[in-house]
Amino acid sequence: MLDQIPDVAACRARVRRHFKGRTRRGLLIAFEGPDGSGKTTQRKLFKTWLVAEGYDVVTTKWNSSDLIKPIIKGRKAARALSPQEFSLLHVADFRCRMDAEVLPALWDDKIVIADRFLFTGLARDVARGLDFDHVLKLYQPLVWPDMVFYFSVTPATSRMRVAADRVPNFYEAGQDVTDVEDAVESYHRFITRIIREYDSLADIFNFTTVNAEEGIAEQHRRIRDLFREGARRPWSPWNVEAFAEWIALHKRG
Amino acid sequence: MDRAAQTRVKRGRLVAIDGVDLQAVRAAAREAVRSIGAPHCGVSHWDASGVFHELDLVDGAASPRTLLLLYAADLAFRARWEIAPALAEGRTIVAAPYVATATAFGRAVGLDRSWLANLLQFAPRQTEAHVVDAGREALTRPVGFLRVASARWAAPAGIDRAALTQEMARHLRRPARR
Repeated sequence: MLDQIPDVAACRARVRRHFKGRTRRGLLIAFEGPDGSGKTTQRKLFKTWLVAEGYDVVTTKWNSSDLIKPIIKGRKAARALSPQEFSLLHVADFRCRMDAEVLPALWDDKIVIADRFLFTGLARDVARGLDFDHVLKLYQPLVWPDMVFYFSVTPATSRMRVAADRVPNFYEAGQDVTDVEDAVESYHRFITRIIREYDSLADIFNFTTVNAEEGIAEQHRRIRDLFREGARRPWSPWNVEAFAEWIALHKRG
Repeated sequence: MDRAAQTRVKRGRLVAIDGVDLQAVRAAAREAVRSIGAPHCGVSHWDASGVFHELDLVDGAASPRTLLLLYAADLAFRARWEIAPALAEGRTIVAAPYVATATAFGRAVGLDRSWLANLLQFAPRQTEAHVVDAGREALTRPVGFLRVASARWAAPAGIDRAALTQEMARHLRRPARR
């Protein structure tokens, strides 16, 4: 390895020192769920409330990095992506946002709200036929969210809400893998697979499930209560590797 | 797959040519095509998908993992449209560069082997592999992936480009000796 890159063991020690005993540390809170589950509405309400409570809040959205988003957008428009390319480019976008938005904000004790996190990539890629372990490893080194709110809806509800005012686009409808010509029908089949994957992920990774078929105000109250309970959690040592690599490769002062 | 198709797959050859100096890699690929002399022998070039070309249109730093994910996305495109079809038709295809260049960059910056292997697991197995030494030009005026890696990561991180080039070259020579 290059001599100019700091020793990773020293970086790990620095990360542990930084996060040890912090009274009001940064938190990573992910909002996950299928399209039409209302998570963006809840994310906005939650952010407004957190800011009013005096928290410094940063939002990061799926597929939104300045560097990678244009690349993905052009290929989606041309319908030129295989499942493997689709996966790799979305992981690249995720990694960009981790390095530029998420990790710096957490280091500075801010609250990061992620409107979709790596679980979106996992659910979609596995629904497209890729191997779960392969995709999960692409996202390493991982930073585990302090809380994952999973907005659970049935495929029928998701379909009804999404198709109410628009036709799902080619990749959103999974038409690259379903071979179904009708976008709404393809969406229904594809979102059924995605929801199955999400439900498995919710079990494996212990998501907090929010019944997204309930009213908006009830959901928001529940999220506030869950946040108050979860905000006292200790910092997870699982995240050391991600921060150590970030420090080592970005030469943070 | 029927028996005739299987026979054709067996006849297809994938020749990997890697190196830190893209101009030297391209020259070696041209020479390989000439020396192989097989009809319809083709070359699969770096950035055939245009991912890195499009990256040039936007400013901003990128981490080594991000750059490798883009390298893999481009390689997935090349595998789908150039390499796999050639092998399926029993043709010889020269991949210049291929997996080893990405792996050498990853190892040079300290990424673990298993992550790199998982990243590039979709790439068809090469029939033969060659590593091209870097010319002096590569140290002063890098092109290809090394240019992108230098501009997007090494320079913003304060890493010396020549040191990165030499470390990559060291990792490239390793598997070649085995």
